[in-house]
Amino acid sequence: MSSGRAQIFADATEAKGDVIIEVEGVDKFFGDFQALKDINMNVGRQEVVVVIGPSGSGKSTLIRCINRLEKHDRGRIVVDGIELSDDLRSIQEVRRETGMVFQQFNLFPHLTVLENITLAPREVRRMPKKEAEEIAMRMLERVKIPEQAHKYPGQLSGGQQQRVAIARALAMQPKVMLFDEPTSALDPEMIKEVLDVMEELADSGMTMIVVTHEMGFARAVADRVVFMAQGQIVEVGTPEHFFTDPQEERTKLFLSQIL
Amino acid sequence: MTASTLKPSTLPSATTSPLAWVRSRLFPNVRSGILTIVLAPLLVYAAYRAALFLFVNGRWEAVTRNLTLFMQGTYPRDQQWRIVAQIVVLALAFGIGAGTASAVRADVAKEAGLALPRQSPLSVIRRFWSLIAFVLLLLYFASTATPWLVVAGAVAAFLVGTLARFIPTSLRNLGWTLAALALVAGFQVVSGTVGYSWIVTAIVLAAGAWSTFKFENVEGRRALLYRALVAVAAWVVTYLAYTQLVYPGVGWDYWSGLHLTLWVSSLAIVLSFPLGLLLALARRSTLPVLRWLSTGFIELIRGVPLITLLFMGQYILGFMLPQGTNLSSISRAITAMTLFTAAYVAEIVRGGLQSIPYGQTEAALALGLPTGKMMRLIIVPQALRAVIPALVGQFISIFKDSSLLYILAINEFLGVRSLVHAQADFRAVAHAETLVFVAIGYWAFAYAMSKESQRLEVRLRAGRR
Ligand SMILES: Nc1ncnc2c1ncn2[C@@H]1O[C@H](COP(=O)(O)OP(=O)(O)O)[C@@H](O)[C@H]1O
Ligand SMILES: [Mg+2]
Repeated sequence: MSSGRAQIFADATEAKGDVIIEVEGVDKFFGDFQALKDINMNVGRQEVVVVIGPSGSGKSTLIRCINRLEKHDRGRIVVDGIELSDDLRSIQEVRRETGMVFQQFNLFPHLTVLENITLAPREVRRMPKKEAEEIAMRMLERVKIPEQAHKYPGQLSGGQQQRVAIARALAMQPKVMLFDEPTSALDPEMIKEVLDVMEELADSGMTMIVVTHEMGFARAVADRVVFMAQGQIVEVGTPEHFFTDPQEERTKLFLSQIL
Repeated sequence: MTASTLKPSTLPSATTSPLAWVRSRLFPNVRSGILTIVLAPLLVYAAYRAALFLFVNGRWEAVTRNLTLFMQGTYPRDQQWRIVAQIVVLALAFGIGAGTASAVRADVAKEAGLALPRQSPLSVIRRFWSLIAFVLLLLYFASTATPWLVVAGAVAAFLVGTLARFIPTSLRNLGWTLAALALVAGFQVVSGTVGYSWIVTAIVLAAGAWSTFKFENVEGRRALLYRALVAVAAWVVTYLAYTQLVYPGVGWDYWSGLHLTLWVSSLAIVLSFPLGLLLALARRSTLPVLRWLSTGFIELIRGVPLITLLFMGQYILGFMLPQGTNLSSISRAITAMTLFTAAYVAEIVRGGLQSIPYGQTEAALALGLPTGKMMRLIIVPQALRAVIPALVGQFISIFKDSSLLYILAINEFLGVRSLVHAQADFRAVAHAETLVFVAIGYWAFAYAMSKESQRLEVRLRAGRR
């Protein structure tokens, strides 16, 4: 999906095509500490944006603001035409449209895999049980573990659990998927199975924002890479740009450390 | 570290001879050997004295001649048939519950394509052996045929109840409704249907109707309307039936003995659980008023001994209720026990809620679940699972503490002893025998509860982590 040509963007608002997520002048404080400083970023429909940056730079905070797991203090966040505000309805609406995958999987350990996946469609979308289970099985096939449907999360490997978490988010048929370091808690031999699923998801046209340190994934899948440091967006470009010709000192330093 | 933990050869195996068993279990190394040599004679001696008391010297007439008194105390004898009927109906309720539960397990196994784990009668005996032993002891002490007939009737009713497993899957909640209805009926066979007793039945029937008839082939909102109509109809019919057909009974102020102990504790447990859960949730609420009220209540109750609360229930509760409410002594006691237990349940549940990682909340919210459903479906079930042992411990505790009602001059199981020893034949004798008997009675139930809690814990943990 990448353009195959190194390109540097003036800023992160130059989304590819029709914009689905707008982040405009967003600040976020934890007490006195400012975790996000004037973030401006747009994401186009079917675009894959990879966010990289050192630990503590605000990557998680940024994507958690997009589905309101954190409340931003200044600026505007609009998801698929819905502006996030204190209005509970708009929050619910955005969360229904947005799937999230966490570093620690966060599966519900007291429910089977199938129940984990059907829960939200049934309780939030009020889908009948049969229909929800059909969708769940389709999603499990998509992440290639339909045979695990009746097990509990604790009986699965880390890689399988993360794939269930992806299926769980997909079952709500979201328009956007947010990934927060989905492979960081995995043993090395399981990382690929999760990245493969994510790559197929990107190929199917899903809009994705992915926080990750997997530069191979970024190179193969990302349309744009966003580099963050100290709560700010420092540099934006295609993967080629980052690998061949990073501009900022901080970017160069970071890339030299992880590559 | 002892030598035995290092040498696998000393571990007992299934094929060892008795001598090898003695060696490996009792004399695995010098230190354990010495311990065995010292303790064994003491144990044998204690067992000898216990056997002497139980089978030779003990004057068990104090128990055998007063068996009915221990079971039902001062309850009017000419109304005894009601208690017999209650036991049979309750056995039916438990049978229906067991049958429905096994049907649910079968459904789950079938859906998952797994083999159904069969339950042998032996495993049931092992689960409830303390209760079975207590019933056998009662039968052994019995001088008439009545107890045998009651037990036979109860077993038969239980078995009939288990036929509920043949109720079709689509009507599964009918099984639970019937079980709950039989529980209520069992209570009302004795208590009668006067006063507000219709409300309990109406709740059971309305909830049962709502959850049994789901109108699944009717479209969305209309199905909800139909369900509500059926529930309301069940409510109204119950009200009409109860006001038209009055069935007088023996109110619980006349109950006593083990019968009273079991009902008072069961009610305190059943009522305190939801109350404690609500208090725990209120204590974590975002509304400060709710938080303060719940914290204040919990801390107030936990700072006062149960016996004080029981006395306050008798003497002070009247001032706090609207004029004209006339609570009986037993109702006051149940209220005090419920409030007391609820405060502790609330603290236990709060601990459970705190033990659930924040990631669970986040995952639920990210899926779009509203806060209420997130708590009800994700957080609370996990929190409760985490605190089962502590919760059941609290319930066992209030069951045993129901013996404090004795001090309020209510003749529950322990209090009946004073009636026995008021009899000319037993004025100064057999105090030890009656105490041992009462202790065995409490133990049988407390131990069964403890075992069930362990079993529940293991079952809910099965297949996890
Ligand atoms: N709930 C919180 N309370 C206080 N500080 C927080 C909280 N969440 C994150 N932070 C701080 O905000 C900064 C950015 O955090 P985060 O977005 O998690 O960084 P990243 O995901 O890039 O590692 C960090 O310095 C972190 O300590
Ligand atoms: Mg992070």
